[in-house]
Amino acid sequence: MIRDAAGRIGYSPSLLVALSAAVLVALVSITSGAYPLALADILSVFTGQEATDPVASMVLLEVRMPRFLLGFLVGAVLAVSGALLQGLFRNPLADPGLIGVSAGASLAAIAVIVLGNTWLGGWLAMTGEWALPIAAFLGGSGTVLLAWRIANRSGQTAVATLLLAGIAINAVAGAATGLLTFYATDEELRSLTFWTMGSLGHAGWDDLLVGAPFMLLALLATPWLARPLDAFLLGESVVGHLGYRTDTIKKAAILVVGLGVGAAVAVSGLIGFVGLVVPHLVRQMVGASHRMVLPLSILVGGTLLVAADSLARVVVAPAELPIGLMMALIGGPFFLALLLRTKVI
Amino acid sequence: MRFRVFAAFLLVTVLFPVAQAGEPPRVVTADGAITEIVYRLGLESLLVGVDTTSGYPEQTESLPKVGYLRALPFEGVLALKPDLLITSEQAAPEDSLERLGRAGVQVEKLPLARSPEAVLERIVSVGRLLGEEDRAESLASELRSKIKHIQQASLARGNQPKVLFILAAGNHSVMLAGEGTAASALLDTVGAVNAVSGIQGYKPANREAILASRPDAIVIAESTPGQFDIRSWSEVERLEAWQSGHRLVADSMMLLGFGPRLPDAMAAVNDVLSAPSNVAANDP
Repeated sequence: MIRDAAGRIGYSPSLLVALSAAVLVALVSITSGAYPLALADILSVFTGQEATDPVASMVLLEVRMPRFLLGFLVGAVLAVSGALLQGLFRNPLADPGLIGVSAGASLAAIAVIVLGNTWLGGWLAMTGEWALPIAAFLGGSGTVLLAWRIANRSGQTAVATLLLAGIAINAVAGAATGLLTFYATDEELRSLTFWTMGSLGHAGWDDLLVGAPFMLLALLATPWLARPLDAFLLGESVVGHLGYRTDTIKKAAILVVGLGVGAAVAVSGLIGFVGLVVPHLVRQMVGASHRMVLPLSILVGGTLLVAADSLARVVVAPAELPIGLMMALIGGPFFLALLLRTKVI
Repeated sequence: MRFRVFAAFLLVTVLFPVAQAGEPPRVVTADGAITEIVYRLGLESLLVGVDTTSGYPEQTESLPKVGYLRALPFEGVLALKPDLLITSEQAAPEDSLERLGRAGVQVEKLPLARSPEAVLERIVSVGRLLGEEDRAESLASELRSKIKHIQQASLARGNQPKVLFILAAGNHSVMLAGEGTAASALLDTVGAVNAVSGIQGYKPANREAILASRPDAIVIAESTPGQFDIRSWSEVERLEAWQSGHRLVADSMMLLGFGPRLPDAMAAVNDVLSAPSNVAANDP
C-alpha cells in the first residue's frame, strides 16, 4: 500500500514506471540466460505442458526462478535497509555497510571457509551444508547488536555513537578478515571471492528457504517505520514530541536492517552500491517522504539487482561476471548522470 | 544428503566412456591440465568449451570460456550442450555440478594430480572417458620413460639441493612457495627440497626471508612472460645461486600445472640444479 505525504492512497507516475520496469526486468530475467530456450518452451513450462527441450523446465524452475526471486529479495532488502539507515542517521552516506552488518556477516562466512577444517570443525559438523549462511547471518546480526549495545546508554540510543561504533567494528572486522585471508590456502582464497564480490550464481530454492523468511520479515516491517522516520527528518528531538517512542523506532529499524542484511549477505555475499544509491534514486523520483521512499526502494532495489544480474550472466556468456561488479558498472554512471542533471543530493 | 545422492550418481557414471553413439561426444573441460591432456591426445575437435584456467595451447583461445572452474555457471555450461564435463575435484559450486548431472551431462571429477604417477593416471582416465584409451596409454608410457630418465639423472646428482621457488603472478605480486604447494610437489619429483620452510601455501615474499633461505637454485614461475622484474628484487640477484646461473624463469602453468608438460617442467628444473658450476667463477 502506498500513500503519499498527505496520507492518500494513490498512483504516482513514478510508481507506475517503477512497477512496469520491475515487470519488464522480471520477464527479461526469466527468459534470458546463457542457455537458449525457445519462447514456446518457456510458455509450455509455465502453463504446465510438456516442453520440447527436456531440460527447459529444470533451467526455468530450478535455476532462473529461484535466482530471480532471490535477486529481487536481496536487492529490495539492501535498498530498503539503506533507506532506513539514511533516514535514521539523517545522513545521505549511510548504507548497510556502515553499522558493521555486512562486515560482520562476511567475517563470519570467511571464518567458516578458512577455519572450517581446524577450529570450527564442530560448527561444520553441527550445521552441515548450512554452515556458511547461518554463520553469516549470526555474524551480521551479532555485529549490529554489538554496535547497538555500545551506543545504548541508560536506555537511550545515541545515533552518532552507533555510527562511530559501526565504523570501528568495520575496521576490526576488516582486519580480522584480512588476517584470515592471509592464512587461507590457495583454494580457500578462491572461495572467499564469492563473499567479497557477491554472487547469485548458486541460487536455488534451498537458498531461498534459508534467506527468504528473514528478508520477507524485514520487508514486511518497513511500512510501520515510514511515518516515524518522516518525523526523524525534522530532528531527533521532534520525534518524541510527535508522539512516537523514539527509542523503540531506532531499535526496530536497526533490528530490521540486521535481520534483512544478515540474511541477504548470507545467501549472496557482499553486494555493495544498492543500499547506498537506490534510496537517493527514489528520492529524486518521489521526494523525501518515507511512505513513498520505502516501498519504492523495495521495488527499485529489487529491479536494479535483477537487471544487473541478468546482464552479468549474459555479457560474457557462457561465463558470468560477479554481480557486485555489474551493479557498480550500471548504477554508478546512471547515478552520476542523475546528480549532474539535478545537482542536489 | 544431496551430496550423497550426487556422489552415488558419480560412482554409477564414473569412468564409463561416453563415445558409444555414432556422433562424437561434445566435451567441456574445466581444468588447465585436463585441457592440455585433451590437446596432447589430439582430441581437441571434441571440445566445445573450456574454463578460464585453460590457456595452453594457444588454440584454446578460440573456444568459448565457461568461467572459472571453482565458479562454474550451470546455465553457461549447459548452453554448450555438452555430453561430458571433465573437471578436477576442485570444481565448484556443488549445486551447479549436481544440476548438470541431472540435466543429462556426464560430470567427471578427476582427483588432483601432484605426482608423476597421478599425472599419468589422469591422462589414462581422460583417454578412457573419451574412448581413446590406447592413445592415452601410449602417451602415458612415452611420458613415463621421459620422467624416469630425468629422475635417474636427478638421483645420480646424489644430493638434495635447496630451491627457492618464487611465483610471480599479477602486477607486483611476488610470492614465495611454501609447503603443500604444487611448487613443493614439483621440487619433490626431481629430488630437491624447498629452501623456504615454515610457510604454508603461497605467501607474499619477504625480502629478508629470501636472503635467509640461501638456496642452491632459484626457480621463478611467471603467469605471463616477463612478469618478474629482477631489477626490483635485488635480494634475489644478490643470492649466490642467481649469480652462479642456477636459476630458471619459466611459465607457471608449465611448471605448476601437473599436466602432460610435467616432464618438460622436471627437466627444466633439474637442469638448473645441475647447472655447470664454472659460471660461479665470478663469485666473490
